[in-house]
Amino acid sequence: MNKTPYAELLTMLSRHRGVVGSFVVSERDGLSIDSNVQIGVQAEAVAALAASLHRKARLACGAAGCGTVTFLRLDAERGGICAAGRDDLVLVTISEARANIGLLRVEMMRAARALT
Amino acid sequence: MADEITRLSDDLARDPSSLVFMPLADALRRAGQLDVAMRVALRGLDRHPYLADAHDVLARIYADRGDVERASDEWEMALRLDPSHAQANLGLGFVDFRRGNLESAERRLSAAGVDAQPGVVAALAHVRAALGSRAETRSMPASTGAVAMMVESPPETPATVIANAPPTRAPNGMVATPPATPSVSAVREFPAPDPSRARQLFVSALEGADQSALLVDADGLVLAGSYTDAAGHDVADIVAAQLAGVSSEAERAMRHLGLGAWTSLLVEADEAVLAMMPAPLGSLVVVAASRQTPVGLVRLLLDRALTRARDWLARVS
Repeated sequence: MNKTPYAELLTMLSRHRGVVGSFVVSERDGLSIDSNVQIGVQAEAVAALAASLHRKARLACGAAGCGTVTFLRLDAERGGICAAGRDDLVLVTISEARANIGLLRVEMMRAARALT
Repeated sequence: MADEITRLSDDLARDPSSLVFMPLADALRRAGQLDVAMRVALRGLDRHPYLADAHDVLARIYADRGDVERASDEWEMALRLDPSHAQANLGLGFVDFRRGNLESAERRLSAAGVDAQPGVVAALAHVRAALGSRAETRSMPASTGAVAMMVESPPETPATVIANAPPTRAPNGMVATPPATPSVSAVREFPAPDPSRARQLFVSALEGADQSALLVDADGLVLAGSYTDAAGHDVADIVAAQLAGVSSEAERAMRHLGLGAWTSLLVEADEAVLAMMPAPLGSLVVVAASRQTPVGLVRLLLDRALTRARDWLARVS
């Protein structure tokens, strides 16, 4: 199977402490373009939901005159999801509570700028 | 006082689910540590949201902070939970007096059931005198301003009255100390009742003009709050509509991942930060702030807005 242009990026993100999966997803249809997830993570379903959340956030920010969404973070009791997008592509990571979100945020925003 | 706070803090540390948070919060309030007192009270209310006494303690803290609107909300909540709550009636009685709602003030002070206390008796007498003067004025030509002055003038010692009121009931046999002086000046500044109060729900919870807050229901309809864009246009409805379903999608995503319930959603954009939290009845609290606002402060504002939203929903639903 051929590697996508995102494979290296996803591998790098998945090396972060507490990150259990990362993927690039199309915001328009919620389909995963490439992923690097641990066994047991329901990547497809989560990718679609993360893409939908990103889309809603983008539209809400547009309506509110807040400009372009640069980073999104959904927190839960034992972890969360982070997303950073560019155009139709959204970079998503799934992390446990022990992840260093600050570091992950910086890496994801930098990586998102290079998404094409 | 310091010893008492230390002892109560130790008690609470040993058993965080105990009701000792009430006397602790009140002791902190009396010591002037209002921010800490509020945190203790709010945390306690998270665990025990249906305790009228706890809402009464929080109301006193808000009153001392000068936030009489929230104090009033908390006392109203205490009365919903316990319609005979003396302290809540007393607090609302003075709020009503300051608003000029003398009939309501008289009713609440009477209902406080603490007539035996000299201070309350004096305050009640003052309110009744003002009521009597008002009645007399109605039968006189409207040429005198004397009655208006009398009604607007505060009772002699409203603070003393509340301070002398009976101690807060002490659950589990704990000693709850008598309330101390509330912020009388704050009561004096209470705004007139506003019919568009839902729109103003979060105003006192926010810190600046560059911040907005909304309460949005599960269908993306605005329940309370307001949102204007940089040009001053009201965009609350459209923002709320775009956020319809966020709560359910976040919940589904977390269920798929087994990460527990979702607690907050933070969206950073070029010009602003949007933060959201799930609220009761499937609703969503949204706070927006400019990018200059530290993210940590946005989360704090979100906590405040959620507290207001919970109380408001409990009252109106």
